[in-house]
Amino acid sequence: MPLDFALIAHQESWRAAADVLAVLRGPGRAPIPDVDLKDIFPWFPPRAVCHIDHRSVLGHSVHGIYIDSFIPPDRLGFEHRRENIGRVRDAAACAIKAGARIVSLGGFSSILIEGDSDLLPEKGETVFTTGNTLTVAFVVQGVKKMCALQGRDMAEATLLIVGATGDVGSGCARCLAPLVNRVILNARNIDRLRSLAEELSTGGATVDIATDLQQLSMQADIVICVASLESPSLLLGRLGPNAIICDAGYPKNLSPDDVLEGCTVFFGGLGQSLGGMRFEPDVHRVLHRHPFPNVGQGCVMEGMVLALERRFEPFSQGRGLITPERVQEIESIAARHGIHLAPLYNARGPIEEVTCETEGLADEHQVAGAG
Amino acid sequence: MEVVTSPKCSTTSHADGACSTASIWQDVLAQAVAGELVAVLNYTSLAEICEDPDEVADALEHAESERGHARAFTAEGKNLGIEVPINVTAKYWKRLRTAFLRQIDARDFIGCLIIQEVMLESFAVASYKRVGQVAPGSLGGTFAAIAAEEEEHIDHALSILRAARALDVKGFDHKVHELHIEVMGILAQMFAREDGDGHCELCHAACVKQSLPVVGLTSSELRGASLQHYLRTLDMLGLPGEMTLAWAAQLPV
Repeated sequence: MPLDFALIAHQESWRAAADVLAVLRGPGRAPIPDVDLKDIFPWFPPRAVCHIDHRSVLGHSVHGIYIDSFIPPDRLGFEHRRENIGRVRDAAACAIKAGARIVSLGGFSSILIEGDSDLLPEKGETVFTTGNTLTVAFVVQGVKKMCALQGRDMAEATLLIVGATGDVGSGCARCLAPLVNRVILNARNIDRLRSLAEELSTGGATVDIATDLQQLSMQADIVICVASLESPSLLLGRLGPNAIICDAGYPKNLSPDDVLEGCTVFFGGLGQSLGGMRFEPDVHRVLHRHPFPNVGQGCVMEGMVLALERRFEPFSQGRGLITPERVQEIESIAARHGIHLAPLYNARGPIEEVTCETEGLADEHQVAGAG
Repeated sequence: MEVVTSPKCSTTSHADGACSTASIWQDVLAQAVAGELVAVLNYTSLAEICEDPDEVADALEHAESERGHARAFTAEGKNLGIEVPINVTAKYWKRLRTAFLRQIDARDFIGCLIIQEVMLESFAVASYKRVGQVAPGSLGGTFAAIAAEEEEHIDHALSILRAARALDVKGFDHKVHELHIEVMGILAQMFAREDGDGHCELCHAACVKQSLPVVGLTSSELRGASLQHYLRTLDMLGLPGEMTLAWAAQLPV
């Protein structure tokens, strides 16, 4: 069967890793003890874990594979960057060897390569997309939807973006800066912050920058957290009342239990396929850890969207190149195939009522949440 | 089995570190020598079922090469002042040899290559490489050099196996799976964190695995590196990665 797409991602927790291996071991074998799991898992060379069929609402399907890079969940930090790049390269080689026409890089995979696509192995006919444009689309849609649900006037709001100079962060900034009263950009690199602030200011936005997350956080009405925070309480404990917080990082670790009364946390960057997906072997209940069916990260869905559209092109590449026009373009393509913003939820569960259309999705068609 | 040390341990400067850990190296070398001698037996048996004279010669050459490795390991033991015990019928090695002989009885040349070249050699190469990185002096050099030699001679076997797979993909993969369950199952038990099956009959006292960190090794990294090498070898043969991943996940721990 021709391979339209491949998704490269990794597990966000040891629990998720254990669950994947439990499915592969089958029902007749005892789960691998945690201590052995941590010994064995990091040694697996990147390879396909399952096959995926993704159906468009237009009626046709595409076929692909999910490749796990087997980055250990506790080695996602910067100090393991070199090792992890090697794993992602091996996973990319796996996708190329399998003949995938387009490859989406989920989770840290895209972060590692968005700055330098030359790190990828010889690609042949295979194209790579970081998937970040569709992630930005879903983050922006989610923020707008949450504001609408809470009756907030975005034009009056101050928006804080944590991790603003990354690909997703800067894309969100470009899309939302024209819609809000003021933007605060937070990141570690002051030069990049200044450069982005200058770009947004030229477009007419009011922009402040801060390398210290807590410096201006009290002033924010809306927060988009693109980077996974090592210490979420540093942010969540220092927000103004009634702030809306979009957790667009990976892994997602902002909990509504940690914020002040009146603040709302929701998970951003997630899309839902109305056409549905089928997994073989059936790992959907392991990879799918959302309260709704057929939900996945925008970054991994972008490759599937482009495959459904038969546009095998590196739609998202490099860093800082995501524009509102490109976001609108991928949104339109996704919508044509029945892929929309997922219903909003957080660690406690759904935070909006689901539509009849969403509720009626066949249980047999589920989508991976990894990546 | 006792640790036998000689006065050399207190006088040989380059191996001072090794001497202080002599009992560990004794057990490590005992496993390596057993593995090499089982390989000698396996290749000798293989020569008996080969029909092509070139293959007979190859098998006998490999047997001789493995014999040389066993000698080299034994000599390294002597350098350290330890006597490396020889026991090719030690529990796990006996089971591995029996599995191989079953393929010999069936005159299944391909089955024999899968066991020896893909499974046993993967574990040997990966383990020797790790040991070579931490073992002191010439001991480390010998492990590293033998790992490199073992790796070199696998190419010819892989080309034979690839050709066999091209003729019957389904049948070949089924055969590999059957052998995987038996042979890799034994190796997985051998490398497991704890000796669930009792003493391996090679370690001179208690299981050496708990002591490996003293010399900069762990049983988990030996197991992991070996499994990784094995999976990569199966990749080179063209077996689907998702299938071999499931096989590996199903091994005993």
